[in-house]
Amino acid sequence: MKLTKRTLMAGTAALALTLGHGAPAQAEFPERPVEMTILFGSTAQTIGQLLSELMSEHLPERVVPVQRTGGGGSVGYQYVDGTAPDGYNIVWNSNSISTTYHSGALDFDHTAFTPIAKISTEVTAIAVNANSGWESLSEMAEAIKAEGRPLRIGASGRGSFTHLATEAVLEAIGLADDAIHVPYDAGRAPVELLAGRLDAALQWPGQFVSHHEAGDLRILCVTSDERISMLPDVPTCHESGAEGVSMVMWRGLAAPAGTPEDRILILEEAARLATESERFHEAARTIGFEVTFADHAEFGEQIASDDAMLEELMTALGLKE
Amino acid sequence: MELLFSAATVALAPGALLAVFLGSLLGVIFGAIPGLTFTVAMALVVPVSFSLETAPAIGMLLGTYIGGMTGGSVSAILLGIPGTPSAAATVMDGYALTKRGKASLALGTAVAASAFGGLVSLIVMIVSVDIVAKLALHFGPAETFALLLFGLSTICGLSQRSLLKGLVAGVLGLMIMTIGVDEMEGVRRLTFGTVTLQQGINLLVAMIALFAVPHVIDAFVKYYRSDTPPDGVSDVRVELPTLRDLGKTFWLMLRCSLLGTGIGAIPGTGGPIAAFLAYAHARKVSREPEKFGRGSMEGVVAPESANNAVTGGTMIPLLSLGIPGDPGTAILLSGLLIHGLTPGPMLFIQHPGEIYQIYLAIIVSYLCVVAIQLVGIRFFVQLLRVPAHLLAVGIIVMCGYGSFSIRNSVFDVYTVAILGVLAYGLIKARIPLTPIILGIVLGPSLEREFRTALILSGGDASVFWTSAPTIIFMGLAVVVIGTQVVRSVHATFTPKKSGISRDASVKSEK
Repeated sequence: MKLTKRTLMAGTAALALTLGHGAPAQAEFPERPVEMTILFGSTAQTIGQLLSELMSEHLPERVVPVQRTGGGGSVGYQYVDGTAPDGYNIVWNSNSISTTYHSGALDFDHTAFTPIAKISTEVTAIAVNANSGWESLSEMAEAIKAEGRPLRIGASGRGSFTHLATEAVLEAIGLADDAIHVPYDAGRAPVELLAGRLDAALQWPGQFVSHHEAGDLRILCVTSDERISMLPDVPTCHESGAEGVSMVMWRGLAAPAGTPEDRILILEEAARLATESERFHEAARTIGFEVTFADHAEFGEQIASDDAMLEELMTALGLKE
Repeated sequence: MELLFSAATVALAPGALLAVFLGSLLGVIFGAIPGLTFTVAMALVVPVSFSLETAPAIGMLLGTYIGGMTGGSVSAILLGIPGTPSAAATVMDGYALTKRGKASLALGTAVAASAFGGLVSLIVMIVSVDIVAKLALHFGPAETFALLLFGLSTICGLSQRSLLKGLVAGVLGLMIMTIGVDEMEGVRRLTFGTVTLQQGINLLVAMIALFAVPHVIDAFVKYYRSDTPPDGVSDVRVELPTLRDLGKTFWLMLRCSLLGTGIGAIPGTGGPIAAFLAYAHARKVSREPEKFGRGSMEGVVAPESANNAVTGGTMIPLLSLGIPGDPGTAILLSGLLIHGLTPGPMLFIQHPGEIYQIYLAIIVSYLCVVAIQLVGIRFFVQLLRVPAHLLAVGIIVMCGYGSFSIRNSVFDVYTVAILGVLAYGLIKARIPLTPIILGIVLGPSLEREFRTALILSGGDASVFWTSAPTIIFMGLAVVVIGTQVVRSVHATFTPKKSGISRDASVKSEK
């Protein structure tokens, strides 16, 4: 029952799409399900699954999410890179295309893919134990320098996005040489903070929010250049003492380079409609990401500029291979 | 109380009950079929749960998780192939009981022990979520490392026949898990410059390879060697345990349930280690330790009550701290998030109603699982009528399909084939496989906790013996290893009696 309804809806949507563009040739794509490769578990997987479901409503065929995790995203990138550029294989990508390439895990870079659309942005946050008394990054930096001991700061493994953001912040507050990076796996950092084994942690804000509201942890700042809707009262790291820091992770869709532009446009339109839906915005509020749709051209520019920025940062950190 | 009633009206509404039932059924089926696992089932359920209301959505996910954890024992007992890593310890005595014609009795006991363990852990969770969560905070990397090391030391106990061969197996397991990208430093290990090997060996893939493939090869070898084609067991009696039988193991069940809950509450541990520790404990306190490995009911009760107690245990850090303890709870976490329930201290303040709904869903789910299994046992045991070589064909298909579906990777299918043939060779060399699984399960966590502890302490190794938990677990590990070494040295210098197979995959008739 549900299936027929969805097919009907998808059909109607596709019809509307075709009429809107006035190009009958476009109606033929997609003739079979489009496979969306998902590179990571947890929230990346959840958002990707929801996005594919919502995109399916605006296309004659379904978009099917398929998990291909491993190697920090390189396994999935390699798979999609090896598929035909016909629009039937797309990847739910992120800045990881730059970090995997520059760390030497992949032998091709972002130019192997044609951007379809930017979908969302996730911002990392820095938290400390509320008992520390630190209200801002500058207070933390001063206290650590006065005590003359290294800052123990938790993030994910070396070369991960949270690690790079950590290093960018530490550089800006002058603690780059006085910090120990403690790599943690999924979700462990808040516990280590609560237990007092860490001084600070940089993670996705969703992990801290509940503890922040309960008053056990304090989120000092978010790494974006604007405050985020989830935490309107939390300053940016720039405001908090780390001048010039702007680290955000985008997620979007891309297809192998050489995919025909008309197909890219059809997928971009379906993605746009999906991101405008109430369900997607509701998920953004509950999971904690910003809906920041951008078309393929604008997305392409951002991928290129972020790639240059990450390359520079990774070279400075000695992570570039 | 009012909250409980209003939660009950939501959680016990027909739609929510149906969702929990369907989830439990799916979990049991996926858990019971070798090759398919409940993490795959949960990943399938998540998109469905998006469009459901909160109570049925969470109920369905919980049902799948609990059903899968319980269902894993079915194939462990019937076929000697654990359906989930947590059921690996159940194989040792469960499969031995099947070979003695007591399959249905073992299955029934396993279900009862599972439900008991799950409900005990739920009670502990309701009563003491705050205390347990605070206690779990004291388990830093050094403490967790000590606990895992203690868990690994039980390898010695699992390979009584030859300490050396047990250690060979354990180290093999540890080595298999070093393949891939090191999460902490991002170093690529043993990948030979390929991207494919960066994904490493998945635990579930390794488990399918180690337990299922040798079983299949063995069935074919036997079929082609013997002149008369072997038939399945023609007389399959369905015999369920009585309450009196279960009552005899009440205290063991309770102890193992508490053990499982405690271990589940500590992030970085999980079901398999709880099951193995419970098994080791049961054998230690048993009046008939010599029966272990040859079909002891206690050897089924202990791991099954412990691994299901882990489900309640992992809910403690998940709900109160927002930390997923295993792949199952990680999927559960995303299900909670999509419905606006952010785990953490505020969850209990902002959404007390939903918390009660979760508790009720867990109870309903266990009732469903017990009902499904009690009906199911009658059908499950019929599987034994199928001749082994025909069953093997079905198993190999499910394993190929199952290993692919975990990560949609053909690499995993090849891995099953290669590791499986190696495992058959190891069995022929009389090297036990269970320590390999223990090594594979514990290896990555053991390494991560060890390194994190040293990073935190600035390279000072004294963190491993300066806190109370580390002293206790390190001490226990030393005692376990010490006694085994002394015993094995003693055994080498005294005339040897014929050894008893400790490994379920080694057929007794060989």
